[in-house]
Amino acid sequence: MRLPKIRELLEAVKALAVGPYTSKFPKKPHTPYPSFRGQPKFNEDYCVGCLACEQVCPAQAIDHTDTVKGGRAVRTINHYTDTCIFCGECEAACIAEHKGIKLSRDWDLAFFDRKKSYESIERELVLCEVCGGVIGAKKHILWITNKIGELTFSNPTLYQTRLRELGLIDNNLLEIKKDGGRDDRLKILCARCRRQTTVGG
Amino acid sequence: MKKTVIPIGPYHPLQEEPEFFMLTVEGETVVDVDVQVGYNHRGIEKLSELKTFDQSTFVIERICGICSTSHPFAYTRAVEDICDIEAPMRAKYIRTIIAEGERMHSHLLWLGLAGHFLGYNTVYMWVWKLREEILDIMEIISGNRNNYAMFKPGGVRRDINPDDIPLVMKKLDKILPTLKMLYKAVRDDPVLHARTKGVGVLSREAALDFSALGPTSRASGVARDVRKDTVYGAYHEMDWEMIVTKNGDVYDKVAVRILEMLESIKILKYCFLHLPDGEIDAHIKNIPPGEGIGTHEAPRGETFHYVRSDGGNGPVRHKVRAPTFMNLPTYKATIKGAKIADASIILAAIDPCYCCTERMAVSDTKGERLFDGRELIRLSQQETLKWKQKLGAVEPPLEKLTRGTL
Repeated sequence: MRLPKIRELLEAVKALAVGPYTSKFPKKPHTPYPSFRGQPKFNEDYCVGCLACEQVCPAQAIDHTDTVKGGRAVRTINHYTDTCIFCGECEAACIAEHKGIKLSRDWDLAFFDRKKSYESIERELVLCEVCGGVIGAKKHILWITNKIGELTFSNPTLYQTRLRELGLIDNNLLEIKKDGGRDDRLKILCARCRRQTTVGG
Repeated sequence: MKKTVIPIGPYHPLQEEPEFFMLTVEGETVVDVDVQVGYNHRGIEKLSELKTFDQSTFVIERICGICSTSHPFAYTRAVEDICDIEAPMRAKYIRTIIAEGERMHSHLLWLGLAGHFLGYNTVYMWVWKLREEILDIMEIISGNRNNYAMFKPGGVRRDINPDDIPLVMKKLDKILPTLKMLYKAVRDDPVLHARTKGVGVLSREAALDFSALGPTSRASGVARDVRKDTVYGAYHEMDWEMIVTKNGDVYDKVAVRILEMLESIKILKYCFLHLPDGEIDAHIKNIPPGEGIGTHEAPRGETFHYVRSDGGNGPVRHKVRAPTFMNLPTYKATIKGAKIADASIILAAIDPCYCCTERMAVSDTKGERLFDGRELIRLSQQETLKWKQKLGAVEPPLEKLTRGTL
């Protein structure tokens, strides 16, 4: 009876010497382990605005709005920290070398106003020149042209966007050709208008 | 003698696993019990059917906060069963590591709570401190203390960094002596023996009749363990023992769980030292129409998942059977003839979620409430105190300070 008590007493003394397992958090800032999964953050340099992250997110913590801001069509991608489950699917699905959205080690996500618990990134949009519909983010189309190389020139939407970005096409030249007929095929078109100009005409 | 009816639950339908127990009591002895489940329909199965196969894993992970790997493990096995695909060996090892780590932290959590119910708050504190080491290991490996998000059909999502392994091994070595000390402390303590030996006995026949699973059945002498019965994960690669005891009382259930943790450490160490190289994902491209079943030995017993696919993006039917569903009715066999003071520890012995025992309430036949969950735990702690005084055990000063406060 006595001997086992000594064994437990030893453990008690050890516990007293080692101290509590918990850290002295408010006084000493907490650093998580390197592999910690914290808040996902957009990277301004890499994100192309392709919305792959929105599609794979199991918690629907990412959404987007396409609006006109200051005469420019802009896609705003929002990531909501309150619904995020930090699973890392967005990072795994990111087409821009998994760097467009990346889990950080930020864990201190407390907020007072739930409506403010999001972060967003803005991407310029490319619009259809006939109907004005959204085709995609400009950076995303440029990313595609980079990826497929010379195959870009099989699609006017792709090469027009590319060449205009490089400043090789004068926008004024295109204005003259605006006739609503088959010449529209050489413009930047959404999928529906491309079908219309090709077969529907 | 006048009979008293004691309803237990379901007072917080928002919490996990609200069950309803109607105890009929003669004096202090329980003569009958009525167990009802199904108060909390969370719609997880339907939710899973609305998502893709990949996204479902995260919903399934949130069925239980404690066995957050058991369900994805069974689910991914079910999806792999449809595709007839095996995960690569490295992925299997990583899965085994996560599953065993989870078993350890679940058993430790249970052990702490059992200590608390019995009035051993020092055990409660020490064991939960020990559990922190395991949670740290899980954070190092997967990036989170719980909800590891590691599983996907065909493999795992993240690889284990070989640089982390020495740190993890150091932590495992630190846990082992304390765990052995705890086992010896449980084995030697006469008060614990008085409170748990011969209490809530589940006979072998009753365990078979109720189809008890996991540690509940193994404590009653039924050698039933998915890890041994089927070949999956990396369990067949190493030597480990299935812990089976004969008596089926609360003491045996404690012993089975502590010894299982020692086996888990053995498995974890083997996996970390023999982690094979190679791919961690089988890259499943599409999932053909068909049906699949997957099982996994969760900390509480066998988890069963059935998934049907029509060749589309997500499951068209997903059925989940959690182990507590089978273990809970054994309460009917174990509680009869027990005292009310033992009711909470007998129920806790099958390891249901904590909220089940928290919501206990005792009332007389007129519906007037006599005891609630807190009262029942206090009753259980007083019983231990009585035994301590009877056996002349010295109460540590910490126990005196914390008694009745938690």
